[in-house]
Amino acid sequence: MSISFNLNGKPAVTDAAPARRLAHVLREDLGFTGTKIGCDAGDCGACTVLLDGEQVCSCLVPVAQVADRDVTTVEGLASADGRLSELQQAFHEYGAAQCGICTPGMLMAAADMFKHNATPSDDQIMDAMGGVLCRCTGYNKIVDAVKHVVQPNGVDFVSPDAGGAMGARTLKTDGIQKVDGTELFGADVAPADALWARTIRSPHHSATFTLGDFDDLYKKWPGLERVFTAADVPGNNGYGIYPEIKDQPAFADGQVRFKGETVVALVGTHEAVYGIRDEDVPINYELREPLFGFAGLDDGAHQMHDANPGNILAHGYVKKGEAKSAMETADVVVEDSFVTGFVEHGYIEPEAGWAQRVGDRLEITVSTQAPYMDRDEVAQIIGIPNESVRIIPTACGGGFGGKLDLGVHPVIGVAAWVLNKPVRCTWTRIESMAASTKRHPSRITARYGCTKDGDLVAYDMSGDFNTGAYVSWGLTVKDRVPVHATGPYYVPHVEAATRAVFANETPAGAFRGFGIPQAAIAHDTLMDMMADEIGMDILEFRLRNAIRKGQDTATGQVLEYSAGLDQCLVALREPWQKARAAAEKFNAESDGVTRRGVGLGCMWYGCGNTSLSNPSTMHVGIAADGTVTLYSGAQDIGQGTNTTMMQVAADGLGIRMDQMELVWGDTDKTADAGKSSASRQAYVSGRAAMEAGQDLRGQILRLANVGDDASIEFGEGRLTVTEGDAVRVIDLSDLSDDKLHGNVLVGEATFDPPATPLDDMGQGNPYGTYGFGAQVAEVEVDVDLGTVKVLHVWAAHDVGAAINPTQVEGQVHGGVAQGLGLALMEEYLPGRTENLHDYLIPTFGDVPPIDVYLIEDPEPTGPYGAKGIGEPALIPTPPAIFGAIHHATGVRMKQAPATPDRVRAAILAAQGEK
Amino acid sequence: MKPARFDHLLPTSLEDALAMLAEHAPDGRVLAGGQSLVPMMNFRLARPTVLVDLNKIPDLAYIRDAGDHLAIGAMTRERAIENSDLVRAASPLLHDATLHIGHLPIRSRGTIGGSISNADPAAEYPATALALDATLVAQSVRGERPIAASDFFDGVMTTTLEVDEILTEIRVPKAPPGSGAALVEIARRHGDFALAGVAAQITLEDDRVTDIRLAACGVGPGPIRLTGAENILRDGGLTDTALAAAGRAAADAADPDGDVHATASYRRKMAGVMTRRAVEKAARRAGGAA
Repeated sequence: MSISFNLNGKPAVTDAAPARRLAHVLREDLGFTGTKIGCDAGDCGACTVLLDGEQVCSCLVPVAQVADRDVTTVEGLASADGRLSELQQAFHEYGAAQCGICTPGMLMAAADMFKHNATPSDDQIMDAMGGVLCRCTGYNKIVDAVKHVVQPNGVDFVSPDAGGAMGARTLKTDGIQKVDGTELFGADVAPADALWARTIRSPHHSATFTLGDFDDLYKKWPGLERVFTAADVPGNNGYGIYPEIKDQPAFADGQVRFKGETVVALVGTHEAVYGIRDEDVPINYELREPLFGFAGLDDGAHQMHDANPGNILAHGYVKKGEAKSAMETADVVVEDSFVTGFVEHGYIEPEAGWAQRVGDRLEITVSTQAPYMDRDEVAQIIGIPNESVRIIPTACGGGFGGKLDLGVHPVIGVAAWVLNKPVRCTWTRIESMAASTKRHPSRITARYGCTKDGDLVAYDMSGDFNTGAYVSWGLTVKDRVPVHATGPYYVPHVEAATRAVFANETPAGAFRGFGIPQAAIAHDTLMDMMADEIGMDILEFRLRNAIRKGQDTATGQVLEYSAGLDQCLVALREPWQKARAAAEKFNAESDGVTRRGVGLGCMWYGCGNTSLSNPSTMHVGIAADGTVTLYSGAQDIGQGTNTTMMQVAADGLGIRMDQMELVWGDTDKTADAGKSSASRQAYVSGRAAMEAGQDLRGQILRLANVGDDASIEFGEGRLTVTEGDAVRVIDLSDLSDDKLHGNVLVGEATFDPPATPLDDMGQGNPYGTYGFGAQVAEVEVDVDLGTVKVLHVWAAHDVGAAINPTQVEGQVHGGVAQGLGLALMEEYLPGRTENLHDYLIPTFGDVPPIDVYLIEDPEPTGPYGAKGIGEPALIPTPPAIFGAIHHATGVRMKQAPATPDRVRAAILAAQGEK
Repeated sequence: MKPARFDHLLPTSLEDALAMLAEHAPDGRVLAGGQSLVPMMNFRLARPTVLVDLNKIPDLAYIRDAGDHLAIGAMTRERAIENSDLVRAASPLLHDATLHIGHLPIRSRGTIGGSISNADPAAEYPATALALDATLVAQSVRGERPIAASDFFDGVMTTTLEVDEILTEIRVPKAPPGSGAALVEIARRHGDFALAGVAAQITLEDDRVTDIRLAACGVGPGPIRLTGAENILRDGGLTDTALAAAGRAAADAADPDGDVHATASYRRKMAGVMTRRAVEKAARRAGGAA
């Protein structure tokens, strides 16, 4: 029995089963992939569509219920001629779409609102759109876009002239497809005939296992093509982000070390692989006592990995001066311990992609933040040369570090290679949360000492970081933390020691900040405590000690340029003083139940990989017909790299940005630009893109035999070069098109930030440059409930130079939102919070207005002075919020997240009650 | 994940639905708005073999003025209740409760009958029905059976509905003149299920409490009528002492479990705090203030 309904004003018919849910019918059966699925459970709102004009989660609506009714999806918002609606245009112009995965849902929720209310208030906007989660934007720019529709503010977006792209609020080069529903993400691109792969995961934290006989499964499910196991891996059954450590099995081989680990994969028809129940797959587990948290350090704990006695992956260490003895000379010494839990990236797009074998090569089309690393990882699993693997990234629906490690790749890669058929896989939300990496849980004990005049003397910290079942990015975290442990201050004597420890829990990997957010809670809470002890204003104390040019870091690196923390603090001085005074006035007049407080957090963060070569290579080509193309391997994960690379490359070449084409991501078409991690793309790849443009410009000028000041006009098939009165025309068809990708001229540049290895004492120059920032947070605490509401954040960040202020602000907003989540609500508990209604990420109503102050202390090694902002934005938020809670209540929170029950318990403890 | 296999039946009349449910008892499960059952089926936490979907039955969605009470069809969407002037006027507590349910897309589909039948202990409607002494009308091929809300809820996500019965109508007594109402809850985020919540409707004559109805959600295996607190306030008035005692009584009546969102002791304590705040807010509204 077919079901008919009205879809975007046109008749639609489906033969789907009546219970098949609308979201799946729209996407898989009717090809309307603009509607996204983030959780399939009504928690995220990505699948929001209009049903008879009202917003509904299409993942919760059986298609039979829409028979003869009107359904509107994002594809139905633009006019028939493709002109964007006012709402879509506003989203585009205001940067309301970063990665774009939530955007269709946001737009539909807003469309419902405007249908019923042309002039919504702020509260009505929150209420109408509160069902849709965004992990990138912190909602601020979405609100701005919606308000623009209510009352246009006359912002005029003009495409910049040649040479004027740097620093301009240019629109995203890939912005329109993010608002009209045509953007293609990992789950949107597989061919119709692709087989489906579904992973059977360990339901146990720690076990050995044997596999039974699969014959019964094959008999019962003719659509089951193959069950893949460890024995089917053609190459090395292991992966990991470090070239020399491949410890995480593609398929578990006889033992599992965390709940959610891949054991086998079912490959076949959708009906078969999703019809088979996990318990019908014969896997016989023998349970072992799992090691949780830091239990692996206990005497008698079993050894999880042969290579790592005592379950310690590695130690990190930095020593400058003599912190322990210098501490004796300090007038004031404060000490405390701090604890944080696992944090989940919570990107709205679960891992997805598809693979096909093409002769002796393997092609994987996948959502990722590291195409080249994926390529090399997959190659060694398949046992073929790196160049035999091609990674074609899709748009990435959020990464934040979680899509650096392999996701669906091993399973679809092995299956497609062995079967020689296309194979696709989309993780469910639960799989994504159970199997992807997390932020490292930490426990840190630290002492900070200063003089009574407020000069820092010494910092001494030790910290343990739970790296979960496998290495992932554990070595990076244990190294990054000691380097940054003091916070962004000049400290003469430093000793910082870390350990990365294994546990039978989800692997902890890369997550926006690599351990620094955890360390920042420690250093900046101690900074507050010292300021209080010596009676100095918290901001002035930090300003006094802010590390400046010419001073050396804990690793002995002397900062030569771009160290703008002092400027950030000066910018925040006025809002800080006003907000502190306002909070104190509020509290003086309060009934005592509702109290306000204002706190401050500071950060620094080294851009690029720690003490490692991490080069990016970029090409800018010009074809015989005059087409200019940037070939960028810098993966855009929503942060806007596609746009910023175009901006700096265009200015390097001297062309209008909108006259340039972009080829991005594909490892067959772009050079290695490293990973979208470590806040390195704007800085490292941006420098390469700028220089590639400059290189091409230089070639053209030499060809025309003119000087550096000549101007170039880019025409169809020809270039016109003008120097003074002299005009030279280059006919491009005269040039040989044998250059890269059939171009006639190609500019190329590679940039590897200057860094040196760290010695045994952790001394050296680990990064080419550092980002700095400071944030002020204002909170309201309900003392009886223990609830904390963040009312406002003021964020000042030294980004060297803002390539695109709209995007920098977007990064800051999103970082603050994630920092707020870390501080107040987010804690991943393996096996217990594997969905978006038990694992809470900030909603519309949780993220306050955020005022951004862009500080530009130029970094000479970056493109036009720019450096990174992706991770810095998150780091100061948790200590700022914790400081604000203290200001409001007198209670110091030492565990993140500061959930209502924990805050309440701390307040009661401080009051001496039970 | 994809739900386990099942038959999806789409009756177009209540009679057909009742017959189908009777035929397939005890394996049939009624699908109303689907905002809880559908995700539970996706996660295979619920595996019905027959689903009787009420969404094609035209006459189960209505809000009628029935004299001393409102008669609300079980398939009335939460969003329709939220936007109903009749509900706002005749049962401010029901209106207030609705504003706390999930987010708008959930309320666009979720129904009052579904929420009450689902009997999630943290949900707002079961506690509201209990506080207001709503009558829950069940129908089956055997006939109609009105059930008092106090006899309806029977433990975690369990009701006294028989396997062949469908909740078809909710009869909500109108709020008396001079009353005020509020549902107050603490949730981790707006729209999340309550860690603790209290529905209150209070009627004042001068400063005397002539009627008070309190029920809690999120702090026990089901909604909890807070009779101890009611008695204290009815007898003692809205004095500081009585309010504090009522809070303690509510905390004593609570029977919470701890979970990933909050400890049991925290929830118990909050039952008391929420009781006091709900009463104070309802009383302010009874006095004509906001």
